[in-house]
This record gives sequence, C-alpha cells and structure tokens, in this order.
Amino acid sequence: MDNTAVSPVLEMRGISKNFAMTAALTDLSIKLYPGEIHGLVGENGAGKSTLIKIMTGVYAASSGEILIDGEPVTISSTQVAQKLGVAAVYQEPMVFPDLDIAENIFISHHNLGPVMNWRALYKDARNIVEQLGVSLDVERAASGLTLAEQQTVEIARALSLKVRILIMDEPTASLSAHEVRQLIEIANTLRKQGTSILYISHRLEEIFEISDRVTVLRDGKHISTNAIGAVTRGKLIGDMVGRELDEFFGRVPSQATDHTLISVRNLSKADVFTDIHFDVRSGEILCFAGLIGARRTDVALALFGIAPADSGEIVFDGNPVRIGDPQQAMDLGISYVSEDRRKFGLAMAMPIFANISLATLRRYLNRFGLIDRQGENAAAEKYRKQLNIRTPSVEVDVGKLSGGNQQKVMLGKWLNANPRLLIVDEPTRGIDVGAKAEVHQIIRELAKSGVAVIVISSDLPEVLSIADRIVVMREGRQMGIIDGDIATQESVMSLATQFDDSKSAPQPQLV
Amino acid sequence: MPSSSKLAGALRSYFGGWELFLLAILIVTIIANAAISPFFLTIGNQINLFQLSIEKIIVALIMTLIIINGEIDLSVASMMGLAAVTFGWGFQQGFPMPIVIALVFLVGLAGGAFNAFWITKVGIPSLVVTLAMLIGFRGLARVLVEDRGITDFPEWFDALGQQPILGPFPLSILIFFALLIILIVVLQFSGFGRKVYVIGNNKDVAAFSGINVGRVKAILFMAAGVISALAGLLYAARVGAVRGDVALGFELDIITMVLLGGVSIFGGSGSLFGALLSILIVLNLRNGMALANVTGHVQTGVIGMLLILSVLLPNIRAYFGNLYAGRKRLKQRDGKRA
Repeated sequence: MDNTAVSPVLEMRGISKNFAMTAALTDLSIKLYPGEIHGLVGENGAGKSTLIKIMTGVYAASSGEILIDGEPVTISSTQVAQKLGVAAVYQEPMVFPDLDIAENIFISHHNLGPVMNWRALYKDARNIVEQLGVSLDVERAASGLTLAEQQTVEIARALSLKVRILIMDEPTASLSAHEVRQLIEIANTLRKQGTSILYISHRLEEIFEISDRVTVLRDGKHISTNAIGAVTRGKLIGDMVGRELDEFFGRVPSQATDHTLISVRNLSKADVFTDIHFDVRSGEILCFAGLIGARRTDVALALFGIAPADSGEIVFDGNPVRIGDPQQAMDLGISYVSEDRRKFGLAMAMPIFANISLATLRRYLNRFGLIDRQGENAAAEKYRKQLNIRTPSVEVDVGKLSGGNQQKVMLGKWLNANPRLLIVDEPTRGIDVGAKAEVHQIIRELAKSGVAVIVISSDLPEVLSIADRIVVMREGRQMGIIDGDIATQESVMSLATQFDDSKSAPQPQLV
Repeated sequence: MPSSSKLAGALRSYFGGWELFLLAILIVTIIANAAISPFFLTIGNQINLFQLSIEKIIVALIMTLIIINGEIDLSVASMMGLAAVTFGWGFQQGFPMPIVIALVFLVGLAGGAFNAFWITKVGIPSLVVTLAMLIGFRGLARVLVEDRGITDFPEWFDALGQQPILGPFPLSILIFFALLIILIVVLQFSGFGRKVYVIGNNKDVAAFSGINVGRVKAILFMAAGVISALAGLLYAARVGAVRGDVALGFELDIITMVLLGGVSIFGGSGSLFGALLSILIVLNLRNGMALANVTGHVQTGVIGMLLILSVLLPNIRAYFGNLYAGRKRLKQRDGKRA
C-alpha cells in the first residue's frame, strides 16, 4: 500500500496529556490510513490506554490536535467520537445477557419509532453479522455466549454505528487460540471493507500477522512507526523496553544461601494458573516478571492462603504444607505485601502504629487481651527510623502520608512479623524515584539477613537490577526461569510475550 | 487565652470534634432543663430518666460496636420481645425460675448465632439477615403467647426491675454502667476492639493481615443476641407484664442514638464515649420536654431533627473545609507563579 498517495482518515498531531504532575503522553503523533490495520505496542504504562481514551473522547488532550479526513475536530465525549466514526472494543466486552443479540447490537440507537419493529431490527442485525463473515443467530439471548462471541457482538455494535476507525484494545487477551483466529478473520474482513483498525496487543505474533504498520510507544512518547515488513521482533522489543542504562540501579552479588526455604511444584488453580514450579532459597531474591494478566499476583495469593491453589505441592523448610488461610501462612513465616495499599494493605483511617502492629497484634496483647500501647509505639518508632518513614508522629493516620511513606509503613507492618519468606507485590508502583531506591535497598538488606524474598514487579529495570533469578509468566503459565545475571530486557519480554497454543506450552525449565 | 485554646486542642485530639459538639449540646440541654423545672436535677428524676429507656440504652452499647464493625443488627428489638415472651411462657409453664432465665439467655445466644451464621458463613449482608429476623423473632414471640399478656410474676422479680438495690440505683442502671465500662475497655484497649475498628475500616485489609473477620463478627452478633435477651428480661421485670409486642420498634431509637453519637454508618469510626453522650442528650431532651409538657410526638420530631443535623453538620463542615483548602492551594499556586 502506498501511504503517501492516500490521505489519512485520522491524524493526531503533537498530542500531550498531563495528569497532575506526570506526563502520560508527550508530543505524540500518529496517522491512520483507510483500510489499514495499525499495530500499537508498548509496555504497561507506555501510554496506550491514554491514547485510546483521547481518541474516544474519554479524556481531553492537554495539547495537540486531532484531524479526521484532514479536518480538525474536538472529541469531547464518546458520543462525539461515535458520530465521527471512532469506536473501541475492549478486552472485557460489555454484553447484556438477558437481551438477545440483535438488541445488544443496537442497544443505544436503533431508531424504530414508538413501536418496536422487530423484523427490521433483526434484519439490520443480520446484515451486520453477515458483514463480519460470522454465523450468529441474532435472535438468541446473549447469555451463554463465549467470550469470543461477546467480542463479536461488541464489534458488531461498533459497526452498527458506522464506525470507520475501530480501536481494538487487547481483544485477544482472554481468548483461546482458535478464537483468536476467528477474531483475526473478522479484522481482515473489516480491513477489506475499508475500516481502519488500531490494534493493540501484547502478543507480537498477532501484530506481525495482521498489521500493516506498527507503532511503538514508550513512556508516553512515540518511538517508532514502521511497515511491518521492515521490522523484526527483536527490533520491536528493543524499542519497547529500550531505556537508558543510567536508569538501572547497579546489581549486587546474590546473597542466596544453600538452604531451600520453599519449593513449589505443579501448583495449579483452575482458570487462573497452571503448573507453577519454583524454589526460593533463604537470602535469595526471586522476581516474578510478566505483563498485566500474567496471574503473578494469584500465585502469591495462593502462597499466602488468601485464594489457595487447587492442586500441587508446597514444601516449606523441608515439610510439605497446606496453606488454607493467611494465619497459617503467617505461622509459617510468610508475609505478603499487597500491590494495592488502599484495598488490601493498610487501614487508611487508622494511625501508623495500629497499622504496623496489625498483622502481629497477638504479640502486643497481655494475658487479659489488652493492647500494650507502649510496645506498639516502640515498634512503630523502630520502623519509622529503620525505613525512614517521614511523619511528624506515629499517631498520624496512614491515609495522610505520601504514597512512598505509605509503602514503607506497609513494609514495616510485614517486617514486624519477622518473615522468613517475604512476598512483595509491585513494591515501587506509583512512588517516586528516591523512595524506590530506598525500597530496593530495604529488600536487599532483608535478603542479606537471610530472608527469602519474592518480588512481583512489572517494572523490568527494577527486576533486572534486584533479581537473583526471574520467573517469567504469561497468562497463568510459567514461561521459564532466567538467571538474573544473564537476563536482559529482551530475553524477559520475549518470554512474556511469547505466543503459544495453550495446549503446547513449553515445559517450565528450572535453572 | 493561649492555655485555654491549648486545652481545647488537647480535648479535641482526645475526643474528636463531634464528641465536643455533643458535650456542648448536653450541657445546654441540662442547663435549660434545670431552668425549666426545679425537679429536673433531683436524684429521683435523674434515675427515672434513665429507667424509662434503660433497655434501649443497654442495647445501644453493643449496637455501637456492631456499627463500628461496619454491620447493623435490626433484629435487637424483636429479640428483646422474644426474650421477654420466652420468660413469660416459661414462667407460665411452671418451670423453676433459674431454668427460665437460663432459657432466655440461651434463646438470645441462639438467635445471635443464627444471624451470625447467615452473615459470616453464607455472606448475606447483615442488613438483610437481621431485617428478616426482625420479622422472624417477632413472629415467634407472637406465636408463643398469641394475644395474651402474661403477668403476676414473683414479687422478687418485679422488685428487681423497679426497686433500688444499691443506694438509689436499681439493678438495670447498674448493669448499664457495668456494661458501659466493660465495653469501653474492650473497644478502646483490647485486641478484640482493635480488630472491630480495623474490620469496620476495611475488612479486606483485616483478612490480609490474618484477622479472622468472620469470628469477630460472629462474636458481636452473638453478644447482641445475649444482651438483647438481657434487655428483654429487664423489661419484663420493670413493667411486670409481657406481650407479643414488647419493645416493638425500639431498634430505630437504638440506632438513632448510636448514629447521633458520631458512629459512622459506614463503619470504622466512632466511640462509646460519643454514644454515651448522645444517649444522655436524648434522655435529657425527652425528659426536659416532658417536664415542659411537650407531647411525645413533638419529642420524637425533635430527636429526628437532631439526627438529621448530626448527619448534615459533618458534611457541611467537610464541604467548607474542602472549599477552604482548595482556595488555599489555588492561592499558593498563583503565588508561586507571580
């Protein structure tokens, strides 16, 4: 296709978007041509979602302009976007189970006058479904549709709006290999009919298979746009992760001892994760890497007894154990620092001291069950110093602290349990660089003191800097374990995005 | 001047602004009442004022813990009725009194455990479960005695409800203060009380910290059952007769007192001190209005207005607080620019 001969149907010029202090998008420009499938890739947080939200009118850009058919437009709401012919299909389709498929397709806009003309409705619905080249009975209720069929209904809904620019945001993330094929067929059909598709996926194989051109975003900036024939997988991954070297914090030699603290074998939970397989030694830092939806947190929740696994073996300190609730995990010496401070980590409306002692309350009770407040304060003061928690007093409510300091309180809460295995989930998400370095230092010191540490992180430079070994997961499967000394961003991302038919997953290899 | 503002600050940090506000209302009410009637401050009137609502205020104490825990128990008044009727029925059957009284407590415990089962094991919201039991316990009570009233209890039993047993105080008032002290210790100083607050704050955080959330809730609902049964017994002793409609509708007065005391309906905050202040305000207001010959319906209206105010005022304060903070931020930013 000769792009220069055709004018773009949608063009974004110099788009920036700022949230409070941070820039989500910086001076981003992108063109979509009629009848092209344009792949969009980038790591978590690269700005893909923000871009989509600006295109569909959910957010307004802070600066820059959007042109449709060469005319500048203002997309102030999703309704305006729809009128302009822009619509999006998301990973989680929204389908009303009690309505039939035709009603779902025309949920917002079939204009039929005061009396419902069912025949016209079904006829129009059938036309659209045919246009997609799929066979679906539009008169059947939407309940019981597979996820792929629900996706199809969503796409049909978009088409019924006379959409010319269709955004598909990770449409295949939860689909089986067979369903992915169907979806790709539909996308190809639409392309032939002249629709432009912005196709977002973590699966590079899909991008290579269906897109005409591919754009890479990183840290809210446009990195590259290339015809698909002109790039290699390695080049794409390089563009996605290629951070400056100075952002790395230096590696330190492993402190791992010979003592295997926990062995996990064949751990599975139906529809969540399968055959998880690893060891952690005392003093070792084992990182779990992967993209969103890799189910790393679910493995942690199984180890901590919140959502126990269905099958598999856990050997802790030489003894086979079953971990059915958090108290059992804590009795073994397992601490879990949640990724979501607000939801699962801290009681925000309660003071620092009460949060620090929360998981270890028993230790501060006398024989009448009354709390030793001085003991609590002493513990809180200890972690305030050790972790450098910046607060006027330990009586301050945790909700009033900054994110970084909240993170430290949460660490203090779990360090106070004197864990033998510490699991930290996204320990540095949303905190500033200074606090991040401090958290890394704390994790290293813990490992040095003989604690086995599991770190779940989506931040690759962080993983590469602190991990002794890296478990890479993708969609509930363990894709491999890489030694931290030889791992590169490319090798981790390559495993994390590897596409496979779920029936023939590679056997996890142990390092 | 500086020392007095320091004192106010210290008081505020200890009790919170809402409790101070309640204290002010209480003092105003007492002064006004004392001015209206010379009888108001007599010991006799003060004891009478407590005794008229004693069953409600005893149950309000445990209700405070339940609401702080983020739950609600609407079935307390029906349990009071069921307990009173169980007592009357057992007495009528001619069972020995100790057995009858033990049976009443057993009914309270079983009713509380029944609530707890549906709430903690099955996961149905307490609002729904206890609403069902508000009807269920009341229905049982009515079935047990049909339309009859049961009376002519032993003299010693009636005396227990009416006569002073220690100084000028009857048993029920002593029980109220004993329970108040016990629950203050439990809520403010014990590990259990800490768990009640944490769960009310965020029950996922509690569960992720190894706290057995279901167990704490179950204990509270069973305690509510037992205490409601006790309140039902005290009612039978004070009035000297029971019928199927004993304590009908009391749950609303009880919950009103707790909420007026600054306990958040969303759980996680509030104190027994606030609840006590609000109980005292309601009792004194009603008593004062009665002394001034204000009718019961108007009294209820005034208490209702007070509840609306109690919900509105913190919101209004927060609104103006945010407005002020927002303006300040704006000023700071513009200041920086200039």
